[in-house]
Amino acid sequence: MSRVRLVNISKHYGPTLAVDQVNLDVVEGEFVTLLGPSGCGKTTTLRMIAGLIEPTTGQILFDDQEVTNLPPNGRNIGFVFQTPALFPHMSVADNIGFGLSVKGRPKPEINAKINEMLKLVDLAGYHDRLPRQLSGGQQQRVALARVLATNPRVLLFDEPLSALDRNLRETLKYNILDLQRRTGKTAIYVTHDQSEAFAISDRIAVMNQGRIEQLGSQTDIYLHPQSDFVAEFIGANNRLDGRILEGGSGERTAVQAGALTLQCPMRPDLKAGDTVAAYIRPEDIAVLKNDDHNYRNVFEGAVEQIIFEGSVAQLRVAVAGQTFRVDVSGTERLQLLNHRGQIQLGFNEVTLIPIQQAQ
Amino acid sequence: MTTTTLTKSSTKGAGQARFNSRRLIDLLSHLYIWFCLLLFVAPFLALFNYSLQQGTSGIYTLSNYSYIFGSFTNNLLTSLRVSALAISINLLITLPAAYALVRYEFPGKPLLLSAVTLPLYTPAPVLGLGLVLTYNFSYGLITSIWGLVFAMVVGTFPLMLIPIVVALKDLPLVFEEAALCLGATRWQTYFKIVLPLIGPGVSAGILLCFIIVFNEYLVTLFVAPPSVQTAPLRVFNLVRTAGIQNTTAALAAFMQIVSFTAVILFFRLFGSRYLKGTYLI
Repeated sequence: MSRVRLVNISKHYGPTLAVDQVNLDVVEGEFVTLLGPSGCGKTTTLRMIAGLIEPTTGQILFDDQEVTNLPPNGRNIGFVFQTPALFPHMSVADNIGFGLSVKGRPKPEINAKINEMLKLVDLAGYHDRLPRQLSGGQQQRVALARVLATNPRVLLFDEPLSALDRNLRETLKYNILDLQRRTGKTAIYVTHDQSEAFAISDRIAVMNQGRIEQLGSQTDIYLHPQSDFVAEFIGANNRLDGRILEGGSGERTAVQAGALTLQCPMRPDLKAGDTVAAYIRPEDIAVLKNDDHNYRNVFEGAVEQIIFEGSVAQLRVAVAGQTFRVDVSGTERLQLLNHRGQIQLGFNEVTLIPIQQAQ
Repeated sequence: MTTTTLTKSSTKGAGQARFNSRRLIDLLSHLYIWFCLLLFVAPFLALFNYSLQQGTSGIYTLSNYSYIFGSFTNNLLTSLRVSALAISINLLITLPAAYALVRYEFPGKPLLLSAVTLPLYTPAPVLGLGLVLTYNFSYGLITSIWGLVFAMVVGTFPLMLIPIVVALKDLPLVFEEAALCLGATRWQTYFKIVLPLIGPGVSAGILLCFIIVFNEYLVTLFVAPPSVQTAPLRVFNLVRTAGIQNTTAALAAFMQIVSFTAVILFFRLFGSRYLKGTYLI
């Protein structure tokens, strides 16, 4: 239960810069996710917090204690790896008790802790099993118990669900969140899966090329991406480049993008004449039935392709030379399956990102 | 109708033919395996047979074996002592060396790895002669058991090193990282996690080392002082001076049995539990 601060952390591997001047302040009990594509430096950052990698420059602080040069065994952290990494020659109980036994704690205390932890992760009675006798999800739960048994100051997760199948991922991610909430521990979680990040985080740090591009709550990141990269990474796949027209108010403005004129919410740092990228998320676009006047932007287009993915149908619609991706959910998607020809699209949400800043 | 019955019977006939030819191949391959086995074991069986006789009289007795425990005990003990010492020194050298070679990057690593395996490609007389010349500087090494022990270490430590290096390479780093993150020191991590998990490699190294050292006589011939006579050397000397005696054959057979037992014990103990990969989850 510590505050974790990273101050200007960088990591060089020869000429390559893996992590570039990262600053992060995680308050006590907070759940922060480092989100980004592979190679963005998120795992390197996490491993530096754990002490498995030494930063080239910068400082790491737990509360007010500087831990930058402490080895992992001096930091009192709990690290959950991509694989459960249970010690294969030890029973479940010995795995969970390992952290306490290397610290020389008395046997009764260790045993009590093992029982408590097994109950916590819902595996009571599994003491004598060997790791290979457990399923992947059970193994990862034992790994969680093993980490929590040492009462760490901070929990670190390195894509702990990536090796599991989808249904298991769903349940286990809420198990992780639940355990973190119940123990009140500060947690830093690394993932490349945005829906995972949105589901469990208090705050999300989107990373790209070794830097934190944007740090904020789920809704901040989702509704107000600050850069091209963030907008695209969280799935705003429709991008139109254009110019802001004269005559907008402080709240709203119009953007000329090719043949289309878009009505958009204005950003205070933009002015008429600026070139911008306008992002529209596929799930924000509705397929209109009759004349629906709830939308500020209404365009007609031709359906080029329909991909049925079960819970959503993905449409590619050509509008004035641009191809829009539209995700349709609900019963509507079933009616659209055999639809060809013209349809009407409507949307309100448009995110503007200034192009100079994004470059 | 007729066509179906026809095809049925013909497939059955073909099946039977195939079955017969498969049986024949089975039989031949079994014969081949037994023949090879016999070929390998024949010298030992001849030796064993001879060691149980009195002269060539055809009278079978165990007295040769009781004789070796009286007369050759010292030689056997010397062999065991040399083996134990060589294995211990080898472990002290190779365990840290293997860890450094696998877990750390340093300049000249590939060169070092090929350099340390050099003794494997060196003919025993070359090694023996080299060691004699080297030992000239130290009276202590020529006159005690240690000269022989070090000679054995030089000759066998690659055999110990390589299985340990392979086992360490196969061991994912994540176990050590997990142990460190749980608060274990580097020593605790090594002894509680790494060493048990590379157990198969270490024990394979020990086995190889034991078999070679226990049976080695050529290098021993060069470096052993007259006061130190190992069992293989005694066999060699006896055959050279007294011809092939039944008692000598008994000693040779006994050494063979010791080596066999070591191998069988190894596979009983480690073959089941460890060789099948404890750390492969």
